[in-house]
Amino acid sequence: MITGERKPLSEIKEMVAPFKKILVVGCGTCVAECASGGEKEVGLLASALRMDARMEGRKVDIKELTLDRQCVFEFIDQLTDLIDQYDAILSLGCGAGVQAVAEIFPEAVILPALNTTFIGETKEAGLWIENCRACGDCKLGVFAAVCPITRCAKGLFNGPCGGSKDGKCEADANTPCAWQLIIDRLDKRGQLDLLQKIYPPADWSRQQGKGPRKIHREDQEI
Amino acid sequence: MNQKDAGLDITIFFCQRFDKDQDTNRRALEKELGSKIKFFPLPCSGRIEPLHLMRALETGADKVYLLACQEGACRYLEGSIRARKRLAYTQGLIEEIGLEGERLELINVTPENHMTIDELARELLAREATVSLSPIKAVISNEY
Repeated sequence: MITGERKPLSEIKEMVAPFKKILVVGCGTCVAECASGGEKEVGLLASALRMDARMEGRKVDIKELTLDRQCVFEFIDQLTDLIDQYDAILSLGCGAGVQAVAEIFPEAVILPALNTTFIGETKEAGLWIENCRACGDCKLGVFAAVCPITRCAKGLFNGPCGGSKDGKCEADANTPCAWQLIIDRLDKRGQLDLLQKIYPPADWSRQQGKGPRKIHREDQEI
Repeated sequence: MNQKDAGLDITIFFCQRFDKDQDTNRRALEKELGSKIKFFPLPCSGRIEPLHLMRALETGADKVYLLACQEGACRYLEGSIRARKRLAYTQGLIEEIGLEGERLELINVTPENHMTIDELARELLAREATVSLSPIKAVISNEY
């Protein structure tokens, strides 16, 4: 899941200030799960902006819409008949959603209301944690499904660093030491021998240095 | 001046377990005060959403109460705790736009309090008004 957090209202207000007709568009997928860009959050933001405008004596027309997914054309297409009615779209989608909408409607003003934060999981109600950097060179198979790049503050492939205390990271005492987790799990599985090997650094060329990455599959084409 | 005399529009979200006859008991007060008071019974105060509170303020409430059971006395265990947290979150949202957080207030009703919902509401109406008419409502009146 891609997570995000709503930008401060002051920043959003500054972005939408020149516009009189605004459509707040949410996304019902990842950012709805992390309670930052779903239907409820669209309602909260639109409501706050409408009240704010009234208090400042500004007349604005703010409407709400939530797409099931803001990063897939078939869902974005719901905006086709509406978009001309608005001066700006205020998106509560992730960065991919904002760009996907802008790609389809290049002449429309699409503004981000979220700061896209990380790829993560819902750990418990109200708590989301980062657990994947999308490095493109996954080694979870040898690290007992604990990503040392993301979950070890030092990103070590050949840990532990020796600084952890009581199973917690020395960089943040509230975070479990990723290497403690890796070793404990491998020990339970009888696979500690996997750590006998020295693992070379990740191949970062798979993640960066060549511009935006693409996945292209002919079998998925129509 | 009390809230009733100050002409405040009051919205009350409440756990309907306080008063099994709430549907009947609130009728007289609703008839007496008309749109000045609005009741929203909830199966548990934990069902409140920040959006409910925001919409109440947006549509003209000067003061919004959320009546919840005492923490530890909720039939669904955590409802009152959720209610408190969600109200606090919404207070943060309205303070961002310059509205006073105290326009939203949580009241924890004690189990020993056997008051009906209309008695509870009358007690709230008799309280000193700590907020003035909502600046949002003033604009709504001008617009329509």
